[in-house]
Amino acid sequence: MTTAETTAHTARTASTVRSKSRKPWTTGQIVLTVIGVAVSAVFVAPIAAALFTSFKSEAEAAEIPPHWLPEVWTVQAWKALWETGNVTNWFVNSLVVSVCVTSVVLAVSALAGYGFARTEFRGKSVLMGIVMSGLMISPAVLGVPLFTTVQQMGMVDTYWGMILPQCAPAAMVYILYKFFQGIPRELEEAAFIDGAGRWRVFFTIVVPLARPSLAAVGIFTFIASWNNFLWPYMVTNNPDLMTMPNGIATVMNSYGIQWAQLMAGGLMAGLPLIVVFVFFQRQIVAGVAHTGLAGQ
Amino acid sequence: MGRPGLNRRQLLATAGGLTVAGSFGFAALGTGADALASGADTRVRYWNLFSGGDGANMIAMLDAFRKANPGIDVKDSTLQWGNPFYTKLAMAAAGNRAPDLGVMHMGRVTGFSPGRLLDPWDVDLLAKYGVREQDYNPALWKRGVIDGKLYALPLDIHVQLCFYRKDVLKKAGLLGDDGRMIPVTSTDEWFDVLKKAKAAQKKGLQTIGLWTNDQNFQWWFFVAFYTQLGGQWFNDANTEVLFDADKATRVLEFLRRHVTDGYVIPGAPTGEQFINGAPFTWEGNWSVPVFSGAELDYGATPLPPVFGKQATHAESHAFVLPHQSGRGGATNEGAHELAAYVVKHALQWAAGGHIPAYTPTLATAAYKKLTPQNEYVSAMDHQATEPKVWFAGSTGVLAQDLGPVVVSSTMGSAKPAAVARTMKKRLTKLLASKNPMDGRTAAQGGAVV
Amino acid sequence: MTTSAHMTTSAQTVVAPARARTATATATLRRKQGFQHGGWFVAPFLALFVLFVIWPLLRGVWLSFTDANISGEGASFVGLDNYREALNDSAMWEALGHSAYFTLLVVPCITVLAFLLAMLAHNIERGKWLWRLCFFVPFLLPSTVAANMFQWLFTQGIGLINETFGLDTPWLTDKSYAMLAIVIETLWWTVGFSFLLYLAALQGIPDHLYEAAKLDGANAWHRTVHITLPMLRNITGLVIALQILASLQLFDQAVVMMDFSPGPELSTRSFVQYTLEQGFTSYRVGYASAMSIIFFVIIAVVALARMWLLRNREEGGR
Repeated sequence: MTTAETTAHTARTASTVRSKSRKPWTTGQIVLTVIGVAVSAVFVAPIAAALFTSFKSEAEAAEIPPHWLPEVWTVQAWKALWETGNVTNWFVNSLVVSVCVTSVVLAVSALAGYGFARTEFRGKSVLMGIVMSGLMISPAVLGVPLFTTVQQMGMVDTYWGMILPQCAPAAMVYILYKFFQGIPRELEEAAFIDGAGRWRVFFTIVVPLARPSLAAVGIFTFIASWNNFLWPYMVTNNPDLMTMPNGIATVMNSYGIQWAQLMAGGLMAGLPLIVVFVFFQRQIVAGVAHTGLAGQ
Repeated sequence: MGRPGLNRRQLLATAGGLTVAGSFGFAALGTGADALASGADTRVRYWNLFSGGDGANMIAMLDAFRKANPGIDVKDSTLQWGNPFYTKLAMAAAGNRAPDLGVMHMGRVTGFSPGRLLDPWDVDLLAKYGVREQDYNPALWKRGVIDGKLYALPLDIHVQLCFYRKDVLKKAGLLGDDGRMIPVTSTDEWFDVLKKAKAAQKKGLQTIGLWTNDQNFQWWFFVAFYTQLGGQWFNDANTEVLFDADKATRVLEFLRRHVTDGYVIPGAPTGEQFINGAPFTWEGNWSVPVFSGAELDYGATPLPPVFGKQATHAESHAFVLPHQSGRGGATNEGAHELAAYVVKHALQWAAGGHIPAYTPTLATAAYKKLTPQNEYVSAMDHQATEPKVWFAGSTGVLAQDLGPVVVSSTMGSAKPAAVARTMKKRLTKLLASKNPMDGRTAAQGGAVV
Repeated sequence: MTTSAHMTTSAQTVVAPARARTATATATLRRKQGFQHGGWFVAPFLALFVLFVIWPLLRGVWLSFTDANISGEGASFVGLDNYREALNDSAMWEALGHSAYFTLLVVPCITVLAFLLAMLAHNIERGKWLWRLCFFVPFLLPSTVAANMFQWLFTQGIGLINETFGLDTPWLTDKSYAMLAIVIETLWWTVGFSFLLYLAALQGIPDHLYEAAKLDGANAWHRTVHITLPMLRNITGLVIALQILASLQLFDQAVVMMDFSPGPELSTRSFVQYTLEQGFTSYRVGYASAMSIIFFVIIAVVALARMWLLRNREEGGR
């Protein structure tokens, strides 16, 4: 715990130095900040522990009683991870799947959201109702029938089998639908009068306006897809095709003895998103809040 | 969002675009990041469930095979042991994307729908590569034969053992002149041994590791002692339950007593406790490399015959051919060759604690020198196995249904007698239930021996 | 992406003269046409939606009336047998009970905790990004990674949780603690999401409300109770609803922390896990489909209940 606390503490001091020109410290602020540091330490501690453990030898990682910091620092776990090869495969697979899912979801749900919000066609409201009922369906709810469907299509153990079933999220359509409804119609009407076609209006006027919402949907989809375990777990059997969360849980986890390697693998799966988060914090926070709040 | 931000964004957008394009390229290939094929003519995809020490031994054997057969490229994959493995193997076979060679527990073969999820071995082809029926214990070979065809080629027998620390037992006066644990023939003697060991051991540790919370181990121990009592499961035609609730109660009470008498710390990690100085632990023989690696002074015997008769739970790893609609050709022959090679070169495998199934290996001097393997090799003649029905086998439906109730008795949340009755009820239900793969009950599909 | 800034301005230049123009008959016609025939926009999504949502649902309904197995061949119609068996299957009810119990523990804890964390982060003037990062970061980990970390932290003997707090609790191996361990892991892992929702909502409360209250002499406690909490009512409803739906679908953490077993004496086997066991371990696809449909109905009832509550409240408010 102490190390995590000091880490958090140094970080905090750094931030206070930067903002010294602001309001003075009141008693209330000091109390709140101390609580904040303590709570943050609790939140960061497991990750810190995992990081430290990944630098232990396997024997030390399983020692009774355990300790936080390695007595002997070694990169054996990371090296072993790299050498066994599986993990790098999984990393690439995760990237391929998440990128494909995100791009397909963005394209498809932007079109659909716009279609539902702004165009007229027969049976629209019925369709919208059906799509909304899709909010209640997930691989957790309908896993077995979904698997047999994908099996019948011959897509078990393929990238497509992992990707496509993740590409029909009713929630994302709903979020973009809400957003497109809020765009003033006049913008488009004017373009129509000038002779622009529907598609041109969509791509040159609507999409640029929707950038923040699209970013939110994209970010959320990417996180969800990168971290998705259940569906890839069901649909992939071949270890070469597994994504990070799946591979770590089903292949690396065997016997549970190699804790140092397991932690290193876990961090490797988690770090990309964490690093991205550190750099794009504002956008991601806005994105997650936006997608979540749209459900109100 | 000033101008520099725009530049960074442009860069990101380009990089993003490339990733997208690249990803779709990959996805279109459809075969995964390892699609880069090797130069070998024949590629044998082989799935196993061996990790840890077993995994290392298996990889060493595969490497030796690769060296001897450069024309065959072995692509091995290790999956998590237990149900995840069987689930994945079954789904791959059902989805017609099965590997060319797989490993299974012998007990699972009957339920794995031979003919539908498994293809039979070509016995002549195996003989060509040097593996014949007469190289095997006949009973073991027969376990792999269903409807007259060989579906499982045994690699080993693995058993539950009583590991003991010689340093502690010596202090407690429990070692015989041969340096091995003194034999035990009744429950009273056994608890006497535990009492003496407890007095001599390091404080703060448990006396014996029993995996009291683990439904698999508890089930295996139950099977062992129930067999020692001469307990039966079903009649030969698999139409009637012969499970003896009184005998079962005795076994359950015996297991429970370890907890009530304070010899076990429930939930404590058993291997770690043993390494740190606990005098006993009951584990599978696959713990041999772990304890040898920790350089302990220890021995291992089959589970003590506390009910008078020798019997310890035994299972076998066996090679199988997962069903492929187009099985045949060079790949199939490669799978036969690889399996035969590993079976014949199982001395390395014995280092993992398993008893090689290929009997010529057992006769070698090198095997006879292995300790503690030579202390428990006799377990091969006293195997306690689950009944040969579709719902049996390692982590199969039977173990899944009955394991947790055995645990509930050992842990004290249910009375042994009540648990024995529950077990009988569940066995009755299982015997009447149909194998979902072919719609037949154990009796209808039971005439398989 | 790169040209979009430019696009926005061009859109505006298009709009400005358009507004000035008078609407002629042709313009109205064009405008109407512009909004017609939107079917093509919806088509790609609908194709995926039908293939991977609607079709599996219908297929699930069909399979639930058969004794289909995993191989996908030789299924025969068995009528309501699967449903009859499921409703009498005590293991299924127990699994549902575990999922419900988990939900009951997690939802209130997460809601309160998320609110408190958001209040904390909102009210500390310095280093906002740091609090946000710390509280949210676990949510960015894959479920299996978070679960592995806690599995290790909770393991008796080698785990740091017992070590740090001076305990010797068999977290993962005793049925009275196992679910609790999963709940703790879930709180740590997912509270960040609800926390962000609360934080966004807090930032959305107009400052003038607080200032007016201050002028009226309300202290911090009163301001929280009389302004903050009422203003957060909607978001609380949302957080609770999302958490209930997510918690009922418990699977990932539980199986990973328990090494893919149903937990000590089956105590952590969730509904989803039991369904998948039936389908993929026992190969009973028909039976598992029936359970999937039952689960779908349960989820739908919860979702509809929420919509009904929401509508009632809105009507009551008017």
